[in-house]
Amino acid sequence: MSLALAPFANEPVLELRRATERAKLAVGLGELVLPVRVPVWIGSDRRAGEQLVSTDPGRPERVVALAARAAPADADAAVAAARAAFPSWAATPVEDRAAALLRAAAWMRERRAALAALAVRECAKPWPEADADVCEAIDFLEFYARGALELATGAPLLQVPGERNELQYAPRGVCAVIAPWNFPIAIPTGMTAAALAVGNTVVLKPAEQAPGCGLRVVEALRAGGVPAAAISLLPGEGDVGAALAGHRDVATIAFTGSGPVGLELLRTAADVAPGARQLTRVVAEMGGKNCVIVDSDADLDEAVPAIVESAFGYAGQKCSAAARVLVHEALHDTLVERLAGAVQGLEVGPADAFATDVPPLIEQAAQTRVLRYAAIAAEQGQLALAGAHDVRADGWYVAPVIATHLPADSRVLREEIFGPLLTVEAVRVVDEACDRVDELAVALTGGLFSRNPRTVRRVIARSPVGNLYVNRATTGAMVGRQPFGGNRLSGTGTKAGGHDYLRHFVEPRVVTENTVRHGLVV
Amino acid sequence: MTPRSHRASGAVAATDVETEIQRVGQALAEAFPSKRGNPLKAIDNRAMDLAAKDAELRAALFRFVDVVPACRSLDDLAGHLTGLLDEVDTPPPPLRAAVRMGDTKAGRKALGAAGAAGVRHMAHRFIVGEDPAAAVPSLNKLWRDGIAASVDLLGEATVTAAEADRYATRCAEALETLAAAYGRMDEQPLLEADALGPLPRANLSVKVSALTPLLRPEAPERGQRDAAPRLRELLRHAARLGAHLHIDMESLDSREAILELVLDILAEPEFAAGPSAGIVLQAYLRDSPQTLDTILDWARNSERRLPLVVRLVKGAYWDHEVVEARQHGWSVPVFERKADCDLNFEELTTRLLEERPLVRVAIASHNLRSVSHAVARNRALGGRDDDVEFQILRGLGDDLGHALAAHGLRVRAYCPVGDLVAGMAYLVRRLLENTANESFLHEQASGVPLARLLAAPGTEP
Repeated sequence: MSLALAPFANEPVLELRRATERAKLAVGLGELVLPVRVPVWIGSDRRAGEQLVSTDPGRPERVVALAARAAPADADAAVAAARAAFPSWAATPVEDRAAALLRAAAWMRERRAALAALAVRECAKPWPEADADVCEAIDFLEFYARGALELATGAPLLQVPGERNELQYAPRGVCAVIAPWNFPIAIPTGMTAAALAVGNTVVLKPAEQAPGCGLRVVEALRAGGVPAAAISLLPGEGDVGAALAGHRDVATIAFTGSGPVGLELLRTAADVAPGARQLTRVVAEMGGKNCVIVDSDADLDEAVPAIVESAFGYAGQKCSAAARVLVHEALHDTLVERLAGAVQGLEVGPADAFATDVPPLIEQAAQTRVLRYAAIAAEQGQLALAGAHDVRADGWYVAPVIATHLPADSRVLREEIFGPLLTVEAVRVVDEACDRVDELAVALTGGLFSRNPRTVRRVIARSPVGNLYVNRATTGAMVGRQPFGGNRLSGTGTKAGGHDYLRHFVEPRVVTENTVRHGLVV
Repeated sequence: MTPRSHRASGAVAATDVETEIQRVGQALAEAFPSKRGNPLKAIDNRAMDLAAKDAELRAALFRFVDVVPACRSLDDLAGHLTGLLDEVDTPPPPLRAAVRMGDTKAGRKALGAAGAAGVRHMAHRFIVGEDPAAAVPSLNKLWRDGIAASVDLLGEATVTAAEADRYATRCAEALETLAAAYGRMDEQPLLEADALGPLPRANLSVKVSALTPLLRPEAPERGQRDAAPRLRELLRHAARLGAHLHIDMESLDSREAILELVLDILAEPEFAAGPSAGIVLQAYLRDSPQTLDTILDWARNSERRLPLVVRLVKGAYWDHEVVEARQHGWSVPVFERKADCDLNFEELTTRLLEERPLVRVAIASHNLRSVSHAVARNRALGGRDDDVEFQILRGLGDDLGHALAAHGLRVRAYCPVGDLVAGMAYLVRRLLENTANESFLHEQASGVPLARLLAAPGTEP
């Protein structure tokens, strides 16, 4: 089968500045039937259960999904099913695999409002972000489908008379996908689609906070024609993830989540399990402590809204979110005053209100954690806006915080907080800001506001981060446009939505054939 | 062309509108003060000529203009200039010399001073003063020349409530300054009344995006709620002072918020008797005819005694709209062919003129064809020449303004007021807009024959 595809283009987000488009999403929410029942779904074997409950972070008494809780034994069964399904899926022509992903994309496209509504309820993603999450999932399917077709042509090698050299990429086997809740549809779809596109089979463990969204990902792929055993679903917690990571038949782990969990997975993977017949590869996206540098010539009219969006969009719960601002001392006071004023106007509220800027955090533990850091910041430094927001008590809300004058060794400046807390530090020159960025062990995203091309070049040369954004927000990476992923301890340097991402899910095989017989090239 | 300040007894027959357009256009072109030439030429700056030819250079120069107010010293300024010129592959000889000057401290100081002076010079063409009081002499001179004004207060973007309050206060003060200043000026009957009655002398244009930091494309009600008290207060102030308040339109992201806000507030009983107020219709938007429907429906049902002034413009955010749509994969909301936009402008002009006295009409364009069309169409509809207003931008449309005034037409100049820091975004937008290849002024400057400038949209003469 041949597959003629138009060049990749990002799925357009809804034009929410038009009332007619906003109305579509409201319909999606109205039609949402809760709770979603999520089975442990291994091949065609569904086991229902209610042990795992996801709730609306803005109204925790509202149950969004009731899921069966997978146990480590389920991990064994799912891996065994995936292993059994592997030969035939790997042997399926790449065009057919790509076509299945494209049908999954179409399935999602037909249900955009419903999927976005689920992300609004289960993960408190505000509408524009929930819509963008669904679009990104569609993008991953479309992008990796095309990428797999391209990768299937192999790589050119030097050829000399009398021999034929060929490099082909082969799938690695079973891939365990361990996904986060903050992009509850896009990220599981992306990691899963990458693995499947090139012929691996997958066991997906969605975040325990987002099993409902995880179910939709699997439904889309199966509806698109991915064989049931090639994509299993294990709603569950850390023990299931650990069981998958330590499994001798798991060839690849694709993980997005926190640093400690990621490092643990890397350690587990490095330890070759008894009976294992290959090394486990880990594709990991972990946290950051993302800095935005603001030089003295920055246009604050643009920097302020961009920083606010980067730090407080989705309540700061993105790995790309801005955490620290390093500003030229000449602009420090003005910037803090304008940032504080802008943040004061942010609306903290439920995700389903279009007016909401800062939704509730994902769960109570997150609320507690962020409040603890806010208390440390208040004690060690100054809060630029305090008591500006009366936050509701009926969800995991946290008022946005801007902290200044923190000591250089403060935990608040070092640790990933993953919430609506932004720090601002003054620097004498841009190079000092670069030094501070360089001191960090993480290097995911960074931002720079400067209007001097020489400064921009200097900071680019010194910046260790995986994604540097100049004169714009640090969030909102788009598939194919901003391949995304961090360096240093932020990740394995793999770029989701980029052209080389699929290479991490394959192994190269080179075949050299002697074509000389009896002194003749045949 | 004979000045016709009163209803022409034999109104121009509709079929002859095209002939009349040509006649009006030629007469206006003849009235252009030839010595001053085209405004873009008058910006006596070789760099501008070069810029229009070389996209890289244009980008470098505009980025320089943009950053000038943020520079902390002449040295810093020179650093930016040379840094930006580094990006130009083949700089013309004078600029290569400039880059070399950047090698020494003395050279950088001289270069920085020259750069700052150049930008200040350019800014003063477009910006009439640092504040309303400083603008009064220029406004006075315009008035004596038979040209009214609408003052626009430039400022930094509003990102906080305090900034919104400050802008509202500046607007209130500007209204007072303008009312007092215009109160002292001599009578100019053409500028002070049309067939529907008196027209305020003092006229202020305001931006809703400056009256609230909360304009959200996906939640228009937030910006509306936040801006409403400030806008009401300004309307009350304008009513007390007998001034006109015009609410500018901005990018499409805020159109719904602004249109609904203004129409809702003006419908409140408190404002039934005044002040005179207006809004803007942007002809480059494909759905502008539907927006006009909304405005007219509102006007038909309105209790207001003063007709709403509708200022018809092409629209100043074309690049922004195209870029935003392309980045998001949306259909482009603006016409991408100039001829389509020009045609829509004429159709909207006709509709607006036909709907009088429901609305008052202001045609804001530097396009000689669009302006001539409005003059001719008005006559064809039997309107008096003073029943339509023409608006130009100070610094760009001055020659057209004087030509229109010389023919007894009512002209209002949009006059930005503000300091260099605040003015830079405005300045850059104006410069970019008018060195664009399709800009009317650019075509005029590059010697496109009058017949082609006056040709009906999409046709060759």
